[in-house]
Amino acid sequence: MFKRRPLQSKSEVWMRNIVMGILVVYMAVFLIIPVIMVIAGSFHQWNPLNETYNWIGIENYVRMFSYPTFWQSMLNTVIFCVFVVFFRVTIGLAVAYALNSKMTRFKTFFRTVFYMPTVTPLVAVAYVWKIMYNPQFGLIDKIFGLDINWLFDSKFALPALMLMTVWKDFGYAVILFLSGLLSLPADCYESASLDGADAWQTFRYITLPLLKPTMLFVVVTSIISYLQAYVPVLVMTKGGPGTSTYLSSYLVYDQAFKQYNFGYASAISLFILVLTAAFTVISFKVTGNKDE
Amino acid sequence: MKQKVLKTTLFIVLCLAGVVTVLPFVWMVLSSFKTNGEIESLEQSLIPLAPTLDNYLNLQSNFDFLRYFANSILIAVLVTVIVVYTSCICGYVLGKYQFKGKNLIFGIVMMTMMVPWSVTIIPRYTMFVKAGLLDSYLSLILPVMFSGFGIFMMKQNMEGIPDELIEAARLDGANEFQIFHQLVFPLCKNGISAIAIFQFLWVWEDYLWPYLMMDSENKQLLAVGLTLFNGRYSTDYGGLFAATAISILPVIIVYVIFQKRFIAGVAAGAVKG
Repeated sequence: MFKRRPLQSKSEVWMRNIVMGILVVYMAVFLIIPVIMVIAGSFHQWNPLNETYNWIGIENYVRMFSYPTFWQSMLNTVIFCVFVVFFRVTIGLAVAYALNSKMTRFKTFFRTVFYMPTVTPLVAVAYVWKIMYNPQFGLIDKIFGLDINWLFDSKFALPALMLMTVWKDFGYAVILFLSGLLSLPADCYESASLDGADAWQTFRYITLPLLKPTMLFVVVTSIISYLQAYVPVLVMTKGGPGTSTYLSSYLVYDQAFKQYNFGYASAISLFILVLTAAFTVISFKVTGNKDE
Repeated sequence: MKQKVLKTTLFIVLCLAGVVTVLPFVWMVLSSFKTNGEIESLEQSLIPLAPTLDNYLNLQSNFDFLRYFANSILIAVLVTVIVVYTSCICGYVLGKYQFKGKNLIFGIVMMTMMVPWSVTIIPRYTMFVKAGLLDSYLSLILPVMFSGFGIFMMKQNMEGIPDELIEAARLDGANEFQIFHQLVFPLCKNGISAIAIFQFLWVWEDYLWPYLMMDSENKQLLAVGLTLFNGRYSTDYGGLFAATAISILPVIIVYVIFQKRFIAGVAAGAVKG
Protein backbone atom coordinates (compact mmCIF):
# COMPACT_ATOMS: atom_id res chain seq x y z
CA MET A 1 0.00 0.00 0.00
CA PHE A 2 1.15 3.52 -0.68
CA LYS A 3 1.27 6.32 1.77
CA ARG A 4 -1.76 8.52 1.34
CA ARG A 5 -0.22 11.84 0.68
CA PRO A 6 -2.19 14.85 -0.55
CA LEU A 7 -0.70 16.95 -3.32
CA GLN A 8 1.43 19.56 -1.65
CA SER A 9 3.18 21.95 -3.93
CA LYS A 10 1.68 24.18 -6.57
CA SER A 11 3.68 22.43 -9.24
CA GLU A 12 2.14 19.06 -8.33
CA VAL A 13 -1.33 20.51 -8.69
CA TRP A 14 -0.38 22.04 -12.03
CA MET A 15 1.14 18.80 -13.24
CA ARG A 16 -1.96 16.83 -12.29
CA ASN A 17 -4.39 19.35 -13.76
CA ILE A 18 -2.61 19.63 -17.09
CA VAL A 19 -1.92 15.94 -17.63
CA MET A 20 -5.25 14.61 -16.38
CA GLY A 21 -7.11 17.45 -18.11
CA ILE A 22 -5.66 16.54 -21.49
CA LEU A 23 -6.21 12.82 -20.85
CA VAL A 24 -9.85 13.29 -19.87
CA VAL A 25 -10.61 15.51 -22.87
CA TYR A 26 -8.84 13.05 -25.14
CA MET A 27 -10.77 10.06 -23.81
CA ALA A 28 -14.03 11.95 -24.05
CA VAL A 29 -13.39 12.78 -27.71
CA PHE A 30 -11.95 9.47 -28.82
CA LEU A 31 -13.76 6.99 -26.59
CA ILE A 32 -16.85 8.24 -24.82
CA ILE A 33 -18.35 10.33 -27.63
CA PRO A 34 -17.71 7.59 -30.21
CA VAL A 35 -19.41 4.98 -28.05
CA ILE A 36 -22.43 7.28 -27.61
CA MET A 37 -22.44 7.88 -31.38
CA VAL A 38 -22.44 4.15 -32.07
CA ILE A 39 -25.27 3.51 -29.65
CA ALA A 40 -27.30 6.33 -31.20
CA GLY A 41 -26.31 5.25 -34.70
CA SER A 42 -27.49 1.71 -34.16
CA PHE A 43 -31.06 3.06 -33.98
CA HIS A 44 -30.72 4.90 -37.27
CA GLN A 45 -30.56 4.14 -40.92
CA TRP A 46 -27.12 5.67 -41.36
CA ASN A 47 -25.22 6.01 -44.60
CA PRO A 48 -22.38 8.56 -44.69
CA LEU A 49 -22.14 8.52 -48.49
CA ASN A 50 -25.60 9.97 -49.15
CA GLU A 51 -25.84 11.52 -45.67
CA THR A 52 -28.88 9.53 -44.54
CA TYR A 53 -29.44 9.50 -40.81
CA ASN A 54 -33.05 8.46 -40.15
CA TRP A 55 -34.47 7.12 -36.90
CA ILE A 56 -35.68 3.56 -37.40
CA GLY A 57 -35.90 2.33 -33.80
CA ILE A 58 -34.73 -1.20 -33.21
CA GLU A 59 -34.98 -2.26 -36.83
CA ASN A 60 -31.21 -2.73 -37.16
CA TYR A 61 -31.28 -5.14 -34.24
CA VAL A 62 -34.30 -6.99 -35.62
CA ARG A 63 -32.53 -7.28 -38.95
CA MET A 64 -29.33 -8.41 -37.28
CA PHE A 65 -30.99 -11.26 -35.38
CA SER A 66 -32.94 -12.39 -38.43
CA TYR A 67 -29.99 -12.20 -40.82
CA PRO A 68 -28.55 -15.64 -41.61
CA THR A 69 -25.08 -14.25 -42.36
CA PHE A 70 -24.96 -12.75 -38.86
CA TRP A 71 -25.64 -16.13 -37.28
CA GLN A 72 -23.26 -17.79 -39.70
CA SER A 73 -20.56 -15.30 -38.69
CA MET A 74 -21.24 -15.89 -35.00
CA LEU A 75 -21.09 -19.65 -35.52
CA ASN A 76 -17.83 -19.27 -37.47
CA THR A 77 -16.44 -17.05 -34.71
CA VAL A 78 -17.34 -19.62 -32.06
CA ILE A 79 -15.76 -22.47 -34.05
CA PHE A 80 -12.72 -20.30 -34.75
CA CYS A 81 -12.34 -19.37 -31.08
CA VAL A 82 -12.83 -22.89 -29.73
CA PHE A 83 -10.31 -24.56 -32.03
CA VAL A 84 -7.69 -21.81 -32.11
CA VAL A 85 -7.81 -21.29 -28.36
CA PHE A 86 -7.64 -25.04 -27.74
CA PHE A 87 -4.58 -25.54 -29.94
CA ARG A 88 -2.96 -22.31 -28.85
CA VAL A 89 -3.23 -23.37 -25.21
CA THR A 90 -2.26 -27.02 -25.78
CA ILE A 91 0.71 -26.33 -28.03
CA GLY A 92 1.73 -23.29 -26.00
CA LEU A 93 1.69 -25.24 -22.75
CA ALA A 94 3.47 -28.27 -24.21
CA VAL A 95 6.24 -26.17 -25.73
CA ALA A 96 6.59 -24.05 -22.58
CA TYR A 97 6.79 -27.21 -20.48
CA ALA A 98 9.49 -28.61 -22.73
CA LEU A 99 11.40 -25.32 -22.65
CA ASN A 100 11.14 -25.16 -18.88
CA SER A 101 12.62 -28.63 -18.43
CA LYS A 102 16.11 -28.72 -16.96
CA MET A 103 17.17 -30.98 -19.80
CA THR A 104 16.52 -28.49 -22.57
CA ARG A 105 19.44 -26.69 -24.13
CA PHE A 106 19.36 -23.45 -26.19
CA LYS A 107 16.31 -22.16 -24.29
CA THR A 108 16.75 -18.54 -25.33
CA PHE A 109 17.17 -19.51 -28.94
CA PHE A 110 13.99 -21.57 -29.03
CA ARG A 111 12.05 -18.93 -27.15
CA THR A 112 13.12 -16.33 -29.70
CA VAL A 113 12.10 -18.56 -32.58
CA PHE A 114 8.67 -19.50 -31.23
CA TYR A 115 7.73 -15.93 -30.48
CA MET A 116 8.79 -14.69 -33.90
CA PRO A 117 5.47 -15.12 -35.78
CA THR A 118 3.67 -13.14 -33.09
CA VAL A 119 5.69 -10.00 -33.74
CA THR A 120 5.40 -10.03 -37.53
CA PRO A 121 2.77 -7.87 -39.26
CA LEU A 122 -0.42 -9.83 -39.81
CA VAL A 123 -1.28 -8.41 -43.24
CA ALA A 124 2.05 -9.53 -44.68
CA VAL A 125 1.93 -12.91 -42.96
CA ALA A 126 -1.58 -13.51 -44.28
CA TYR A 127 -0.32 -12.95 -47.85
CA VAL A 128 2.48 -15.45 -47.36
CA TRP A 129 0.00 -18.03 -46.06
CA LYS A 130 -2.38 -17.28 -48.91
CA ILE A 131 0.33 -18.39 -51.32
CA MET A 132 1.19 -21.33 -49.06
CA TYR A 133 -2.39 -22.54 -49.52
CA ASN A 134 -2.22 -22.26 -53.30
CA PRO A 135 -3.32 -25.62 -54.74
CA GLN A 136 -0.84 -25.59 -57.65
CA PHE A 137 2.41 -24.62 -56.02
CA GLY A 138 1.65 -23.86 -52.38
CA LEU A 139 4.00 -25.16 -49.73
CA ILE A 140 1.36 -27.02 -47.72
CA ASP A 141 -0.05 -29.22 -50.46
CA LYS A 142 3.48 -29.87 -51.75
CA ILE A 143 4.87 -30.96 -48.40
CA PHE A 144 2.00 -33.21 -47.44
CA GLY A 145 1.30 -34.39 -50.98
CA LEU A 146 -2.29 -33.16 -50.73
CA ASP A 147 -4.55 -31.85 -53.42
CA ILE A 148 -6.76 -29.46 -51.51
CA ASN A 149 -7.84 -26.06 -52.71
CA TRP A 150 -7.80 -24.75 -49.15
CA LEU A 151 -9.16 -21.25 -49.52
CA PHE A 152 -11.78 -22.03 -52.17
CA ASP A 153 -13.34 -25.07 -50.56
CA SER A 154 -15.97 -24.22 -47.97
CA LYS A 155 -14.95 -27.28 -45.91
CA PHE A 156 -11.31 -26.18 -45.64
CA ALA A 157 -11.32 -22.39 -45.79
CA LEU A 158 -12.11 -21.77 -42.13
CA PRO A 159 -9.70 -24.47 -40.89
CA ALA A 160 -7.05 -22.89 -43.11
CA LEU A 161 -7.54 -19.54 -41.37
CA MET A 162 -7.46 -21.28 -38.00
CA LEU A 163 -4.23 -23.10 -38.81
CA MET A 164 -2.53 -19.85 -39.76
CA THR A 165 -3.77 -18.16 -36.60
CA VAL A 166 -2.52 -20.98 -34.37
CA TRP A 167 0.86 -20.78 -36.08
CA LYS A 168 1.01 -17.01 -35.62
CA ASP A 169 -0.21 -16.85 -32.02
CA PHE A 170 1.02 -19.94 -30.16
CA GLY A 171 4.32 -18.23 -29.28
CA TYR A 172 2.50 -15.69 -27.15
CA ALA A 173 1.02 -18.54 -25.11
CA VAL A 174 4.48 -20.11 -24.83
CA ILE A 175 5.91 -16.93 -23.30
CA LEU A 176 3.01 -16.56 -20.86
CA PHE A 177 3.08 -20.20 -19.76
CA LEU A 178 6.84 -20.07 -19.44
CA SER A 179 6.69 -17.11 -17.07
CA GLY A 180 3.85 -18.88 -15.24
CA LEU A 181 5.97 -22.03 -14.87
CA LEU A 182 8.96 -20.05 -13.64
CA SER A 183 6.88 -18.47 -10.89
CA LEU A 184 5.65 -21.80 -9.48
CA PRO A 185 6.91 -22.64 -5.98
CA ALA A 186 9.70 -25.23 -6.01
CA ASP A 187 8.70 -26.88 -2.71
CA CYS A 188 5.52 -28.40 -4.24
CA TYR A 189 7.72 -30.30 -6.67
CA GLU A 190 10.07 -31.45 -3.96
CA SER A 191 7.28 -32.93 -1.87
CA ALA A 192 5.74 -34.49 -5.00
CA SER A 193 8.96 -36.25 -5.89
CA LEU A 194 9.35 -37.36 -2.24
CA ASP A 195 5.89 -38.89 -2.48
CA GLY A 196 7.05 -40.76 -5.58
CA ALA A 197 4.87 -39.00 -8.15
CA ASP A 198 5.92 -39.65 -11.76
CA ALA A 199 6.30 -36.92 -14.35
CA TRP A 200 2.74 -37.14 -15.65
CA GLN A 201 1.22 -37.14 -12.15
CA THR A 202 3.31 -34.14 -11.20
CA PHE A 203 2.12 -32.30 -14.30
CA ARG A 204 -1.51 -33.34 -13.92
CA TYR A 205 -1.96 -32.75 -10.19
CA ILE A 206 0.53 -30.00 -9.42
CA THR A 207 1.58 -27.96 -12.45
CA LEU A 208 -1.79 -27.78 -14.17
CA PRO A 209 -3.84 -26.58 -11.18
CA LEU A 210 -1.15 -24.03 -10.28
CA LEU A 211 -1.14 -22.71 -13.84
CA LYS A 212 -4.90 -22.15 -13.85
CA PRO A 213 -4.68 -18.33 -13.58
CA THR A 214 -2.25 -18.12 -16.51
CA MET A 215 -4.44 -20.52 -18.48
CA LEU A 216 -7.54 -18.41 -17.90
CA PHE A 217 -5.66 -15.26 -18.80
CA VAL A 218 -4.55 -16.79 -22.11
CA VAL A 219 -8.04 -18.12 -22.86
CA VAL A 220 -9.87 -14.89 -22.10
CA THR A 221 -7.44 -12.56 -23.90
CA SER A 222 -7.44 -14.93 -26.88
CA ILE A 223 -11.22 -14.94 -27.12
CA ILE A 224 -11.35 -11.15 -26.86
CA SER A 225 -8.78 -10.74 -29.61
CA TYR A 226 -10.39 -13.33 -31.90
CA LEU A 227 -13.73 -11.57 -31.54
CA GLN A 228 -11.92 -8.72 -33.29
CA ALA A 229 -10.13 -10.72 -35.98
CA TYR A 230 -10.70 -9.60 -39.55
CA VAL A 231 -7.34 -9.24 -41.32
CA PRO A 232 -6.86 -12.92 -42.26
CA VAL A 233 -10.39 -13.02 -43.67
CA LEU A 234 -9.88 -9.80 -45.59
CA VAL A 235 -6.59 -10.88 -47.13
CA MET A 236 -7.18 -14.58 -47.67
CA THR A 237 -10.85 -15.30 -48.35
CA LYS A 238 -12.99 -12.12 -48.30
CA GLY A 239 -15.48 -14.15 -46.25
CA GLY A 240 -15.91 -16.80 -48.94
CA PRO A 241 -16.48 -19.26 -50.36
CA GLY A 242 -20.08 -18.27 -49.74
CA THR A 243 -20.21 -17.05 -46.19
CA SER A 244 -18.12 -19.89 -44.81
CA THR A 245 -15.35 -17.70 -43.41
CA TYR A 246 -17.29 -14.65 -42.26
CA LEU A 247 -16.12 -13.79 -38.75
CA SER A 248 -18.15 -11.32 -36.69
CA SER A 249 -15.68 -8.45 -36.95
CA TYR A 250 -15.25 -9.01 -40.67
CA LEU A 251 -19.02 -8.68 -40.97
CA VAL A 252 -18.76 -5.25 -39.32
CA TYR A 253 -16.03 -4.26 -41.79
CA ASP A 254 -18.09 -5.59 -44.67
CA GLN A 255 -21.31 -3.84 -43.64
CA ALA A 256 -19.62 -0.57 -42.64
CA PHE A 257 -17.00 -0.01 -45.31
CA LYS A 258 -18.20 -2.09 -48.24
CA GLN A 259 -21.97 -1.55 -48.01
CA TYR A 260 -21.85 1.66 -45.94
CA ASN A 261 -24.68 0.46 -43.69
CA PHE A 262 -23.23 2.31 -40.71
CA GLY A 263 -26.32 1.91 -38.51
CA TYR A 264 -26.51 -1.80 -39.06
CA ALA A 265 -22.76 -2.22 -38.60
CA SER A 266 -23.04 -0.24 -35.36
CA ALA A 267 -25.59 -2.69 -34.04
CA ILE A 268 -23.34 -5.66 -34.83
CA SER A 269 -20.29 -3.96 -33.32
CA LEU A 270 -22.23 -3.26 -30.12
CA PHE A 271 -23.12 -6.93 -29.94
CA ILE A 272 -19.37 -7.70 -30.13
CA LEU A 273 -18.74 -5.10 -27.42
CA VAL A 274 -21.25 -6.80 -25.13
CA LEU A 275 -19.57 -10.18 -25.68
CA THR A 276 -16.15 -8.63 -25.03
CA ALA A 277 -17.41 -6.97 -21.86
CA ALA A 278 -18.83 -10.28 -20.68
CA PHE A 279 -15.49 -12.04 -21.15
CA THR A 280 -13.64 -9.17 -19.48
CA VAL A 281 -15.92 -9.35 -16.43
CA ILE A 282 -15.28 -13.09 -16.28
CA SER A 283 -11.53 -12.52 -16.40
CA PHE A 284 -11.69 -9.90 -13.64
CA LYS A 285 -13.75 -12.28 -11.51
CA VAL A 286 -11.17 -14.99 -12.05
CA THR A 287 -8.19 -12.77 -11.22
CA GLY A 288 -10.14 -11.48 -8.24
CA ASN A 289 -10.63 -15.01 -6.89
CA LYS A 290 -6.93 -15.61 -7.11
CA ASP A 291 -6.25 -12.82 -4.63
CA GLU A 292 -8.73 -14.02 -2.03
CA MET B 1 20.78 -43.58 -20.35
CA LYS B 2 17.08 -42.92 -20.07
CA GLN B 3 17.90 -39.28 -19.33
CA LYS B 4 19.93 -39.04 -22.51
CA VAL B 5 17.16 -40.49 -24.69
CA LEU B 6 14.65 -38.11 -23.15
CA LYS B 7 16.99 -35.19 -23.64
CA THR B 8 17.51 -35.99 -27.31
CA THR B 9 13.80 -36.57 -27.94
CA LEU B 10 12.96 -33.26 -26.33
CA PHE B 11 15.55 -31.52 -28.44
CA ILE B 12 14.30 -33.11 -31.67
CA VAL B 13 10.66 -32.22 -30.92
CA LEU B 14 11.59 -28.61 -30.18
CA CYS B 15 13.68 -28.45 -33.35
CA LEU B 16 10.75 -29.75 -35.40
CA ALA B 17 8.45 -27.17 -33.87
CA GLY B 18 11.09 -24.54 -34.58
CA VAL B 19 11.33 -25.57 -38.23
CA VAL B 20 7.55 -25.37 -38.63
CA THR B 21 7.66 -21.91 -37.07
CA VAL B 22 10.31 -20.44 -39.34
CA LEU B 23 9.54 -22.38 -42.52
CA PRO B 24 7.01 -19.85 -43.89
CA PHE B 25 9.56 -17.05 -43.45
CA VAL B 26 12.36 -19.04 -45.03
CA TRP B 27 10.11 -20.04 -47.91
CA MET B 28 9.05 -16.43 -48.41
CA VAL B 29 12.61 -15.10 -48.49
CA LEU B 30 13.94 -17.85 -50.75
CA SER B 31 10.96 -17.58 -53.10
CA SER B 32 11.47 -13.85 -53.44
CA PHE B 33 14.67 -14.67 -55.34
CA LYS B 34 12.91 -17.04 -57.74
CA THR B 35 11.46 -16.20 -61.13
CA ASN B 36 7.70 -16.40 -61.48
CA GLY B 37 8.16 -19.39 -63.76
CA GLU B 38 10.03 -21.23 -61.05
CA ILE B 39 7.55 -20.29 -58.33
CA GLU B 40 4.64 -21.64 -60.36
CA SER B 41 6.35 -24.73 -61.73
CA LEU B 42 5.16 -28.14 -60.63
CA GLU B 43 8.63 -29.31 -59.67
CA GLN B 44 9.56 -27.31 -56.61
CA SER B 45 12.73 -26.85 -54.67
CA LEU B 46 13.17 -24.74 -51.60
CA ILE B 47 16.43 -23.19 -52.81
CA PRO B 48 16.08 -20.99 -55.92
CA LEU B 49 17.62 -22.74 -58.93
CA ALA B 50 18.36 -19.53 -60.80
CA PRO B 51 18.53 -16.85 -58.11
CA THR B 52 17.54 -13.41 -59.31
CA LEU B 53 17.04 -9.95 -57.85
CA ASP B 54 14.44 -9.04 -60.49
CA ASN B 55 11.51 -9.29 -58.10
CA TYR B 56 12.96 -6.58 -55.91
CA LEU B 57 14.07 -4.41 -58.82
CA ASN B 58 10.76 -4.70 -60.69
CA LEU B 59 8.85 -4.07 -57.50
CA GLN B 60 10.48 -0.70 -57.15
CA SER B 61 10.07 0.31 -60.77
CA ASN B 62 6.40 -0.74 -61.01
CA PHE B 63 5.38 0.33 -57.61
CA ASP B 64 6.97 2.85 -55.29
CA PHE B 65 7.45 0.46 -52.43
CA LEU B 66 10.29 2.34 -50.76
CA ARG B 67 7.95 5.29 -50.45
CA TYR B 68 5.44 3.21 -48.46
CA PHE B 69 8.27 1.88 -46.40
CA ALA B 70 9.49 5.39 -45.59
CA ASN B 71 5.94 6.61 -44.84
CA SER B 72 5.37 3.69 -42.48
CA ILE B 73 8.66 4.32 -40.66
CA LEU B 74 7.85 8.02 -40.31
CA ILE B 75 4.36 7.50 -38.89
CA ALA B 76 5.38 4.56 -36.71
CA VAL B 77 8.30 6.46 -35.18
CA LEU B 78 6.23 9.61 -34.61
CA VAL B 79 3.36 7.74 -32.99
CA THR B 80 5.73 5.64 -30.89
CA VAL B 81 7.54 8.70 -29.54
CA ILE B 82 4.25 10.41 -28.71
CA VAL B 83 2.77 7.33 -27.06
CA VAL B 84 5.88 6.68 -24.97
CA TYR B 85 5.81 10.24 -23.70
CA THR B 86 2.06 10.39 -22.96
CA SER B 87 2.15 6.94 -21.34
CA CYS B 88 5.00 7.93 -19.06
CA ILE B 89 3.56 11.23 -17.96
CA CYS B 90 0.05 9.82 -17.40
CA GLY B 91 1.58 6.80 -15.69
CA TYR B 92 3.56 9.12 -13.41
CA VAL B 93 0.52 11.15 -12.36
CA LEU B 94 -1.69 8.07 -11.95
CA GLY B 95 0.99 6.03 -10.24
CA LYS B 96 2.51 8.58 -7.90
CA TYR B 97 -0.20 11.10 -7.04
CA GLN B 98 -3.19 10.63 -4.77
CA PHE B 99 -6.26 12.60 -5.74
CA LYS B 100 -10.00 12.34 -6.04
CA GLY B 101 -11.24 10.75 -9.24
CA LYS B 102 -7.96 8.96 -9.90
CA ASN B 103 -9.53 5.53 -9.86
CA LEU B 104 -12.36 6.65 -12.13
CA ILE B 105 -9.91 8.02 -14.71
CA PHE B 106 -7.77 4.90 -14.50
CA GLY B 107 -10.89 2.75 -14.86
CA ILE B 108 -11.83 4.54 -18.08
CA VAL B 109 -8.25 4.14 -19.34
CA MET B 110 -8.56 0.40 -18.74
CA MET B 111 -11.87 0.39 -20.58
CA THR B 112 -10.19 1.76 -23.70
CA MET B 113 -8.31 -1.51 -23.94
CA MET B 114 -11.55 -3.45 -23.89
CA VAL B 115 -13.51 -1.60 -26.58
CA PRO B 116 -13.13 -3.43 -29.91
CA TRP B 117 -11.88 -1.52 -32.95
CA SER B 118 -15.16 -2.21 -34.70
CA VAL B 119 -17.05 -0.05 -32.19
CA THR B 120 -14.88 3.07 -32.39
CA ILE B 121 -13.95 2.97 -36.05
CA ILE B 122 -17.38 3.91 -37.41
CA PRO B 123 -17.87 7.12 -35.37
CA ARG B 124 -14.19 7.95 -35.65
CA TYR B 125 -14.42 7.71 -39.41
CA THR B 126 -17.47 10.01 -39.38
CA MET B 127 -15.71 12.50 -37.11
CA PHE B 128 -12.53 12.63 -39.16
CA VAL B 129 -14.37 12.99 -42.46
CA LYS B 130 -16.44 15.84 -41.00
CA ALA B 131 -13.31 17.51 -39.62
CA GLY B 132 -11.77 17.44 -43.09
CA LEU B 133 -8.84 15.31 -41.99
CA LEU B 134 -9.08 12.81 -44.84
CA ASP B 135 -5.74 12.26 -46.52
CA SER B 136 -3.84 14.04 -43.75
CA TYR B 137 -1.29 12.33 -41.56
CA LEU B 138 -2.95 14.01 -38.59
CA SER B 139 -5.74 11.47 -38.98
CA LEU B 140 -3.25 8.64 -38.47
CA ILE B 141 -1.64 10.24 -35.42
CA LEU B 142 -4.50 11.87 -33.48
CA PRO B 143 -6.51 8.75 -32.62
CA VAL B 144 -3.51 6.87 -31.20
CA MET B 145 -1.76 9.55 -29.15
CA PHE B 146 -2.73 7.97 -25.85
CA SER B 147 -2.60 4.23 -25.30
CA GLY B 148 -4.52 2.43 -22.57
CA PHE B 149 -1.97 -0.36 -22.64
CA GLY B 150 0.90 2.13 -22.39
CA ILE B 151 -0.61 4.08 -19.49
CA PHE B 152 -1.36 0.82 -17.67
CA MET B 153 2.21 -0.47 -18.17
CA MET B 154 3.79 2.82 -17.10
CA LYS B 155 1.58 3.18 -14.05
CA GLN B 156 2.88 -0.21 -12.91
CA ASN B 157 6.43 0.90 -13.66
CA MET B 158 6.09 4.21 -11.84
CA GLU B 159 4.70 2.57 -8.75
CA GLY B 160 7.99 0.67 -8.53
CA ILE B 161 10.00 3.88 -8.21
CA PRO B 162 10.68 4.66 -4.51
CA ASP B 163 8.77 7.66 -3.17
CA GLU B 164 11.85 8.75 -1.23
CA LEU B 165 13.72 9.45 -4.44
CA ILE B 166 11.05 11.82 -5.68
CA GLU B 167 10.63 13.35 -2.23
CA ALA B 168 14.39 14.07 -2.07
CA ALA B 169 14.24 15.87 -5.40
CA ARG B 170 11.27 17.89 -4.18
CA LEU B 171 13.21 18.95 -1.08
CA ASP B 172 16.05 20.04 -3.35
CA GLY B 173 13.60 22.46 -4.88
CA ALA B 174 12.92 20.72 -8.19
CA ASN B 175 9.43 21.25 -9.60
CA GLU B 176 7.32 18.37 -10.85
CA PHE B 177 8.09 18.94 -14.51
CA GLN B 178 11.81 18.78 -13.81
CA ILE B 179 11.36 15.72 -11.62
CA PHE B 180 9.45 13.91 -14.32
CA HIS B 181 11.74 14.79 -17.20
CA GLN B 182 15.09 14.56 -15.51
CA LEU B 183 14.61 11.96 -12.79
CA VAL B 184 11.65 9.69 -13.41
CA PHE B 185 11.64 9.43 -17.20
CA PRO B 186 15.17 8.00 -17.47
CA LEU B 187 14.37 5.47 -14.73
CA CYS B 188 11.69 3.75 -16.82
CA LYS B 189 13.85 2.31 -19.59
CA ASN B 190 12.39 -1.19 -19.40
CA GLY B 191 8.78 -0.13 -19.52
CA ILE B 192 9.55 2.37 -22.25
CA SER B 193 11.22 -0.19 -24.47
CA ALA B 194 8.33 -2.63 -24.07
CA ILE B 195 5.79 0.04 -25.03
CA ALA B 196 7.95 1.38 -27.85
CA ILE B 197 8.34 -2.03 -29.45
CA PHE B 198 4.63 -2.90 -29.27
CA GLN B 199 3.42 0.49 -30.38
CA PHE B 200 5.78 0.46 -33.35
CA LEU B 201 4.50 -2.96 -34.36
CA TRP B 202 0.86 -1.94 -34.01
CA VAL B 203 1.30 1.08 -36.26
CA TRP B 204 3.39 -0.97 -38.67
CA GLU B 205 0.68 -3.59 -39.12
CA ASP B 206 -2.41 -1.39 -38.87
CA TYR B 207 -4.37 -1.77 -42.05
CA LEU B 208 -7.95 -0.57 -41.99
CA TRP B 209 -7.55 2.92 -40.55
CA PRO B 210 -4.84 4.14 -42.97
CA TYR B 211 -6.76 2.45 -45.78
CA LEU B 212 -9.88 4.46 -44.89
CA MET B 213 -8.12 7.76 -44.22
CA MET B 214 -5.45 8.13 -46.88
CA ASP B 215 -6.61 8.85 -50.42
CA SER B 216 -3.37 9.77 -52.17
CA GLU B 217 -1.48 6.69 -53.08
CA ASN B 218 1.93 8.22 -52.41
CA LYS B 219 0.99 8.93 -48.79
CA GLN B 220 -0.15 5.39 -48.09
CA LEU B 221 1.46 3.07 -45.54
CA LEU B 222 3.13 -0.27 -46.09
CA ALA B 223 0.33 -2.63 -45.00
CA VAL B 224 -2.10 -0.94 -47.37
CA GLY B 225 0.54 -0.75 -50.08
CA LEU B 226 0.83 -4.51 -49.88
CA THR B 227 -2.87 -4.97 -50.61
CA LEU B 228 -2.75 -2.34 -53.39
CA PHE B 229 0.10 -4.26 -54.95
CA ASN B 230 -1.78 -7.53 -54.67
CA GLY B 231 -4.91 -6.00 -56.18
CA ARG B 232 -2.97 -4.78 -59.20
CA TYR B 233 -0.43 -7.51 -59.81
CA SER B 234 -2.24 -10.47 -58.32
CA THR B 235 -0.37 -12.99 -60.47
CA ASP B 236 3.08 -11.56 -59.86
CA TYR B 237 3.90 -13.95 -57.04
CA GLY B 238 7.60 -13.14 -57.10
CA GLY B 239 6.78 -9.48 -56.60
CA LEU B 240 4.41 -10.29 -53.78
CA PHE B 241 7.07 -12.41 -52.07
CA ALA B 242 9.54 -9.54 -52.37
CA ALA B 243 6.97 -7.05 -51.07
CA THR B 244 6.03 -9.16 -48.06
CA ALA B 245 9.70 -9.87 -47.34
CA ILE B 246 10.35 -6.12 -47.25
CA SER B 247 7.51 -5.58 -44.79
CA ILE B 248 8.33 -8.54 -42.53
CA LEU B 249 12.14 -8.69 -42.38
CA PRO B 250 12.80 -5.30 -40.72
CA VAL B 251 10.44 -6.28 -37.91
CA ILE B 252 12.16 -9.62 -37.46
CA ILE B 253 15.57 -7.95 -37.34
CA VAL B 254 14.42 -5.41 -34.74
CA TYR B 255 12.82 -8.24 -32.79
CA VAL B 256 15.90 -10.43 -32.78
CA ILE B 257 18.02 -7.52 -31.54
CA PHE B 258 15.62 -6.58 -28.75
CA GLN B 259 14.09 -10.00 -28.09
CA LYS B 260 15.01 -10.04 -24.39
CA ARG B 261 13.18 -6.80 -23.64
CA PHE B 262 10.30 -7.85 -25.88
CA ILE B 263 9.72 -11.08 -24.03
CA ALA B 264 10.23 -9.55 -20.60
CA GLY B 265 7.68 -6.90 -21.57
CA VAL B 266 5.04 -9.44 -22.59
CA ALA B 267 5.56 -11.53 -19.50
CA ALA B 268 5.45 -8.50 -17.18
CA GLY B 269 2.25 -7.17 -18.74
CA ALA B 270 0.53 -10.52 -18.35
CA VAL B 271 1.62 -11.39 -14.83
CA LYS B 272 0.40 -8.08 -13.50
CA GLY B 273 -2.67 -7.89 -15.74
